[in-house]
Amino acid sequence: MDRCRLSHRGNFSVTHIFQNWDNEKFKNVLYLIFRVGLGALFVYASLDKIWNPGQFANSIANYKLLPLPLLHLAAIILPWLEILCGMLLIFNYKARTANILIGSMLIVFTLAILISMARGLDFNCGCYAQDDTRSNIGLGKVLNNIQLIIVSVILELRFRRLQKAEQN
Amino acid sequence: MQVVNKLTKEAGSLIMIAGILGILAQFILPNGISLRTEMTTLMTESEAVAIPSVSVDPEGDLEAVNITLKDAHKAYLDSTALFLDARDPEIYAKGHIAGAINLPAGAFMDSLDYLESLDRDRLVISYCDGAECNASIDLASNLELMGFRQVRFFFGGWQEWIAAGYPTGGTSQ
Repeated sequence: MDRCRLSHRGNFSVTHIFQNWDNEKFKNVLYLIFRVGLGALFVYASLDKIWNPGQFANSIANYKLLPLPLLHLAAIILPWLEILCGMLLIFNYKARTANILIGSMLIVFTLAILISMARGLDFNCGCYAQDDTRSNIGLGKVLNNIQLIIVSVILELRFRRLQKAEQN
Repeated sequence: MQVVNKLTKEAGSLIMIAGILGILAQFILPNGISLRTEMTTLMTESEAVAIPSVSVDPEGDLEAVNITLKDAHKAYLDSTALFLDARDPEIYAKGHIAGAINLPAGAFMDSLDYLESLDRDRLVISYCDGAECNASIDLASNLELMGFRQVRFFFGGWQEWIAAGYPTGGTSQ
């Protein structure tokens, strides 16, 4: 009873989400949170990499997946692509393209982590701050990325629906 | 199809803009990197290994130098050096250079109290598993930042040490 009352006062719970799923306004707010949240996360993730390109290149080198001649090129382009896509997603400009690029990056990063785990490597994943030891590759990182990929897929389905509605 | 073409074109443009911004930023950033991957050659006892310079010195300010097995062993026999094992505690427990102290590169901040008690002019040699890891370089870089003046990283590491049959400690001995 108390829980119900709390929910009606605007408390955010899983039950509340399901009860209101058909409510278009509620959905819009959720999509907004997903879009801005994912964008902000990518902007945040890019900052340390932009400031320390050598450290980031070192992180990429640890994966031992990329041909060495492309190492610096990737370390130079990726953080700027992250910040660009993150900002576009936040400001909802070319958001579908930005989201597709973010989703693709997440899939590539997750595969790279999985391959490195299978090879028995253990190092900082280079995902956020470069000297954060909690960011070592592992199942936790993979699960984190899968959650973000799901958010990206949800957003893509939304963008697709909106585009179709516009065409009709 | 038209939508796919449009998205591909936009994605290509975004990647290009990111590339241009990234390259321009390297001229402005204090520790910007070049477009071409530079390599550094490090000596182990038996071979020269070329690895990306960013793996040796990500921020371009490392002064610590590589020490070979022969010199590391000499320092060990003379008892002039402190060996620091940059690997994880579980791996260290199984086997390490005799007398080495475990100081995982990833947990550097937890060891500050211990490091503070050491003489900054003492010869310190960091090592990890071998040429395949660079925790020894990360540790050497941090030690330098802390003010240690004689830091070396033993790039051949644990693998080279046991292959030579030099003294070790740990549970597997």
